[in-house]
Amino acid sequence: MSMNEFDDTTLRDRIAANPRPALLWLVGVLVLVALELGRIADGVLRLGGAVGIMVEMIVTIPSSVRGAVASSFGTGAGIAAFVIMAFILLGTVAIIVKWLFIPWSLVDRLGIDVSTGREDILERLLVTGLLAIVAAALVWTPVGGLFEMLIGVLTRGVEAVGSLTTITSREIIPNQGYQLPDGSWEGTFLGLSPALAWGLRVLVVYAYALTWLGWLWKGYEIFREHYREADWTPRDDSINRLRTHYWGVFGFVVVFMFVVMALWAPAVSPVTAEANLYSPYGNEIQYYGDDGVQSITHGDANMNSRSQGGDENVGLMSYDDYDRFHPFGTNTDGKDLFTFLAYGAQVSLVIGLLATVLMAVVATVLALITAYYKGVADLLAIIASDSVIALPRLLLVLLLSVLFMQANHPIAEIYDGGLLLALIFAGTGWPLLWRSVRGPALQVSEQEWIDAAKSYGQSPAATMRKHMSPYIAGYMLIYASLSLGGVIIGVAALSYLGFGVQAPTPEWGRAVFEGKSYVSTSSWHVATLPGLLVVFLVTGFNALGDGIRDAIDPQSDSGDGSAAAATGGGG
Amino acid sequence: MSRWRYFFRRLLLSIPVVLFGLTITFVIVRMGPIDPVAAIIGPEGGAANRARIEQRLGLNEPLWRQYIDFIVGMLTLNLGQSWVIQPSTSVGELLTTYAPRTLWLGFWSVLIAIFVGVPLGFYAGLNPNTGGDYLASFGGIVWRAMPNFWLAIIFLAVLRQSEKFFFGIDWNTIGVNVPGLIGQPPLNFIAVTDWVSLGALSIPIGFYFSPITLAASIKQILPPAVVLGSAAMGNEMRIGRTAVLETINSNYVETAKAKGLRNRAIVWKHVFRNALVPLVPIITNEAFILIGGSVIVEVIFGINGIGYLFYQASIQGDLPLVGSLMFVFIILIVSVNIIQDFLYTILDPRVGYE
Repeated sequence: MSMNEFDDTTLRDRIAANPRPALLWLVGVLVLVALELGRIADGVLRLGGAVGIMVEMIVTIPSSVRGAVASSFGTGAGIAAFVIMAFILLGTVAIIVKWLFIPWSLVDRLGIDVSTGREDILERLLVTGLLAIVAAALVWTPVGGLFEMLIGVLTRGVEAVGSLTTITSREIIPNQGYQLPDGSWEGTFLGLSPALAWGLRVLVVYAYALTWLGWLWKGYEIFREHYREADWTPRDDSINRLRTHYWGVFGFVVVFMFVVMALWAPAVSPVTAEANLYSPYGNEIQYYGDDGVQSITHGDANMNSRSQGGDENVGLMSYDDYDRFHPFGTNTDGKDLFTFLAYGAQVSLVIGLLATVLMAVVATVLALITAYYKGVADLLAIIASDSVIALPRLLLVLLLSVLFMQANHPIAEIYDGGLLLALIFAGTGWPLLWRSVRGPALQVSEQEWIDAAKSYGQSPAATMRKHMSPYIAGYMLIYASLSLGGVIIGVAALSYLGFGVQAPTPEWGRAVFEGKSYVSTSSWHVATLPGLLVVFLVTGFNALGDGIRDAIDPQSDSGDGSAAAATGGGG
Repeated sequence: MSRWRYFFRRLLLSIPVVLFGLTITFVIVRMGPIDPVAAIIGPEGGAANRARIEQRLGLNEPLWRQYIDFIVGMLTLNLGQSWVIQPSTSVGELLTTYAPRTLWLGFWSVLIAIFVGVPLGFYAGLNPNTGGDYLASFGGIVWRAMPNFWLAIIFLAVLRQSEKFFFGIDWNTIGVNVPGLIGQPPLNFIAVTDWVSLGALSIPIGFYFSPITLAASIKQILPPAVVLGSAAMGNEMRIGRTAVLETINSNYVETAKAKGLRNRAIVWKHVFRNALVPLVPIITNEAFILIGGSVIVEVIFGINGIGYLFYQASIQGDLPLVGSLMFVFIILIVSVNIIQDFLYTILDPRVGYE
């Protein structure tokens, strides 16, 4: 919108008027960040790397389209296709950039006078043009080299920060050591046994995460008390309802534990991923053998710590021959199962979140458009979604991942197939989510305030964003949380069949597959524990979804068909 | 809009749905990352061989022509043949061999889910907030969250050692003997032995029926059916509970109580029948889950059903067969949807008025 809608002060003004509580809170945040600066920098680096790969892939789309089109329709058509594709991509980016970074109107600044509907389009065209200029400058002028250098410097800077030790790091609380004949431990934290040292580190991780959670809550309370204009909003009631909804709180706790386990996988795992999963023969440990302190590679040590039933078993909470502690026992090939599961949680979380966010975005946009325009748009969306639903989801997912993997498609190599899976699940899952929020979206589109916004001359996009999307956001949260569980089960099932996430990247379903022949032996833990974790986690997501639903809409049924549909289709 | 007009509109809508579903299948199979011919002839197939197969599959024609041929072929039930798994066997033949096993599995998994899930849900709904309700509800939620592949493995492990877990009852020998936990159920318990022809019409007169084989078949299919129906069972329980709770608190039940109707009559006549309505879409929705989930269950329990066939076809690159099977699944799911709408139209007079 071209004018300020509210005469009230902005949040920034309100903070400037009374900065003390906000500053106090910010100091707390800084302290918390400083404690884990290294790990956060590490995470930022990995995220940046992933984004970089994604950007590179997207950048190649126009030229690959040109190649495909040019080979069948000639060079001219190829160039046309290139331009069209580049325009579509730039336009998409422009909408996002405009929405996120440009709060004022370029059209107003330039003093161009057009009608409201045209203004939006012109605005986006302007941003697209600017982006095209930037892109061209990056590709064809030395600015590109400069930009690359800048990113390189930035990366090295973050890498330097990433090497700082943190309170949850392995160096501060080491759990790998060896036991001398007199029973004392060498190399572990304060000479504690590896089990205790590991337990302590896990405790520190969860304590740290809990502190963050508490501090964020505190921040919300400070905001509510000092900076929010309204004394009460309906959201307060929702949050209070969620806090007293024990089933929902249980779900929240489970999900929180899982997320912390995934984010701090390097800290909670007893062995590093490098030594455990990726290059067991490149990393050595020390142990006290017949000839005093000796060293052996993890790979060789693993030969004696395999869990394959009978006597050959390292069970729960036990040590192997080389004084390595295994909280969940070992895998069939002697690797630490807990490390596998912790990193597997990371993989599941990344794939699940990516797929769910993609699905939710598509479903939300589609729901807004179909509810606003109705008629033909709605009919087309119904046909498209019904068609996708008519293809059995798990079979479609299986078929697609098999095809892409056997063709060695480059996309199947990113994250050992993780990105591909996320895209496939998103592509097959949006109709279920769209169906679930279509009802609420249609309901809100009938409201008087939508008519008011229309007659006031607000553009359709602004109406959808400001007056419709807040209403369906809550519903989206519910169904997204339910479908996340479905995606996690589906990924695990595919990995079980051998067509999900490939080795060496860990995935829970593959652990079940490896251990399936030993369920009835002493090595029952290999297949049972990952399955129990899936059950626990999916129950947690369902409970959280129930809790959010009851919090947002206490009158709703506590179980309806669309909820079942959103979770269904898993393996 | 009248109920039947609503129904016919839905019926009409299924035509573009089938077409669009077929289009997606075509895009995946013909334009996907794998060349169908390369998968059929393998790495060392000659160019002549390749040209011959391309000719037979019509792959040497322009894409739009291929597309029309594919759609017309499917819609006229010209399903083609398998190329890799069982070369030159027609898809129809494959379906008659493989489909009965999946149908048998699906039948029992739906039946078990309904006969366990719905009563449990109704029980929980009639006794809300009691210990039994909590136990049933919580059990249903956890049961639903279990991944099929894991549940199947645990089932196999427990049943293999059934003496240890079930006080000395051996699963393999209790009732009828089955050869093993893994394997397909014998479906030859019923057969026609004698035909008599009346002009052009053949009428079976002699039947062969073996109750022992039937029992063995049921016993063989029980574990996979329970696993496959697990999610459905949980859903039905949840929805059943909610539905009963809703009807119990409705005005007509109050009225019935005020009339002095006996409790049993209220429950049977007024609560149950109305609570069944919201269960209809849940039960029909299970068709999606059953068709998709059958892959996992059939692979683990070693049942040569359609899911297993599809799995083999996709991993071995039998793309023509994959396309035909996908069409069968689309038709199956769309018909289930139509049946659901039909049931709704009959059961719920409010349909189409909202």
